[in-house]
Amino acid sequence: MASPDGGANRSGKKKVRTKKLSTRVDLTAMVDLGFLLITFFMLATSFNKPKAMEVNKPAQDENVATEDLPEIQQSKTYTVLIGTNDKAYCYSAGADETGSIAVDSTDFSRNGLRERLRERQKAVAAQWGSQDELFVLIKPLPQSDFRNLVNVLDEMAINGIKKYAIIDEFSAADSSIVGQIGQYLGTKQATN
Amino acid sequence: MSQIKLPRKSTAIDMTAMCDVAFLLLTFFMLTTKFKPQELAKINVPVSTAQNPVPEANVLTIQVNEKGKVFLGVNDQHTREAWLDKIAVHYKLPAFDESQLDNFKLMDAFGVPIEQLPRLLNMEPEERAGHAQPGIRLDSLDNQLGMLVKLAKEANEELLIALKCDGATDYEKVDKVIQTLQAQKVYKFNLITSAKPLGEGRE
Repeated sequence: MASPDGGANRSGKKKVRTKKLSTRVDLTAMVDLGFLLITFFMLATSFNKPKAMEVNKPAQDENVATEDLPEIQQSKTYTVLIGTNDKAYCYSAGADETGSIAVDSTDFSRNGLRERLRERQKAVAAQWGSQDELFVLIKPLPQSDFRNLVNVLDEMAINGIKKYAIIDEFSAADSSIVGQIGQYLGTKQATN
Repeated sequence: MSQIKLPRKSTAIDMTAMCDVAFLLLTFFMLTTKFKPQELAKINVPVSTAQNPVPEANVLTIQVNEKGKVFLGVNDQHTREAWLDKIAVHYKLPAFDESQLDNFKLMDAFGVPIEQLPRLLNMEPEERAGHAQPGIRLDSLDNQLGMLVKLAKEANEELLIALKCDGATDYEKVDKVIQTLQAQKVYKFNLITSAKPLGEGRE
């Protein structure tokens, strides 16, 4: 078997050597590109996923007469009026004691509304046996910020208050308080 | 004295592992990214300690900006298609053509009175982005928001309603929207908030 190559080798002539190239590639540029893209995607991603807070409003049924609705004892209630400038006004008396209602002006911080709610929870627990008996009436004034309504709803969740309602009607007591604090109810009429 | 000779090492490092990690992360981010949708109105949602995530599909979002302008959008394209059909039938608008339908399917939200909807859909995307939308009408005589919500619920029965309001909006304006919803027998809805670090809220 005489191949031309074999013949050449045997005759002792110079070998044709291919230069051995390294298989290593410089990856620096590729890594750079990779991190650049990572940075882009990290910034473009919306990480702060929105959270939902569920709200239930009562069904508006004309067939239910007002007398059929359950009455809530005044001593179980706590009213939070949400005013402007991040202020809340709370009172625990009912509308029938119009003479002098102790109104607490407070804010939405940890030591503000939360303390008031806790005190009220304790008072209700002492009187009625369970703090779950507390019923909070949340009354946002027309000019108040939506943010503060969310704050109050959040306080309900934080303090574990199970019964609360957002109420758009203002009692006579409410309107007198609103008058005292120098805000107005807008088009909403005070009802008794 | 004999000197200790330190072997000279090459400064070139093996980048393979680093490259692997970089591309692994890149793949992760590419797959998990959901791009921020283009916002019609700038809305700073209030913070809360609520932890439930907003569902990915079947959500009708009602956006209310600081001035009380209302924008509306559904987040899946099938519902948008059915919704537009119902809008056209109910408001007796001339039937929408293919390109208008495609444009509507790509719109995250809109905020124009119904009469202006065909014109809005005829615009090029860039033109539409620059077009100041006046908000959906919700006065008591012609409450289009209520009707649109009703039609959307007919188009997709599983639809959830989410309310995305700016924290600085007056309650009065939010209340108008809520009352409209109540009139449409929507008694349960979600307020969209952004998460607050847990340490600040609960103890």
